[in-house]
Amino acid sequence: MTPEATGILATIAAVGVESFAQLFLKIGASGGAGILAGPWRARAGRIAAGSSARAWISLGLLAYGCEVLLYTLALHFLEVSVAFPLGSLCFVGVALLSRIFLGEAVGRVRWLGILCIIAGAVFVAL
Amino acid sequence: MKSGAAALPGAVVVGLVLAVVLDTFIQIAWKLAVSGSPGGAGPAAAALGAFSSPFFYAAMLGLAAQLFNWMRVLARADLSFAQPFTALSYLSVLALSARSLNERISAPKAMGVCLILIGVFLISRTPFRSPPSADEPGAVRP
Repeated sequence: MTPEATGILATIAAVGVESFAQLFLKIGASGGAGILAGPWRARAGRIAAGSSARAWISLGLLAYGCEVLLYTLALHFLEVSVAFPLGSLCFVGVALLSRIFLGEAVGRVRWLGILCIIAGAVFVAL
Repeated sequence: MKSGAAALPGAVVVGLVLAVVLDTFIQIAWKLAVSGSPGGAGPAAAALGAFSSPFFYAAMLGLAAQLFNWMRVLARADLSFAQPFTALSYLSVLALSARSLNERISAPKAMGVCLILIGVFLISRTPFRSPPSADEPGAVRP
């Protein structure tokens, strides 16, 4: 595998982990599992730690710790002006997770904005 | 187009601006930390090299400040609204990395920055907070 491919794979892995880290921090910042959409709230409620804001924040920090390692690896192989825009795929991940798990209203304009950001990131990475 | 910008609380605006500034600082410090490791070294050696750099710890300090700031933003706004605003740091990171790390800003990169700014503008015109869902009796979305 070429160094660039390794860097891109590490960046994509970091994007996935960061999307979940953001979701966990949002749940923690909102006081716990009460912010989750119906079915997910019920599932989280079955786990004792699921209702604790501190547990969600800890989970988010753990995910960020993993992201630090993955992104440090990515930056070793890629220019920051390439790795950072590639990380913009996180906006798609976060929007999807926000829609699915938090029931946020991610409408057409917000999706259009996200697509513009992704298109921009592709140009920046050229 | 429905606008949510007018009702955006000052605390969210300040938090989003601070998030962009901190993000820029973190990215540059992180890259400087990684740049200090030998070019031919493996990933483990590169990571160890980065961890021994003061720039890495500056980046970590920035991350801690960012976490504190970000939790305050997330408590007040939708995640899918607030998070895309961090894309504004592309502009500052590109400008600073071109200046301090001697990286090139080509015409496509400049066009990409414009597209990102349009995207962030579009998102800023959407409501910053979703209404509570019907299955949340009595729940108030912070």
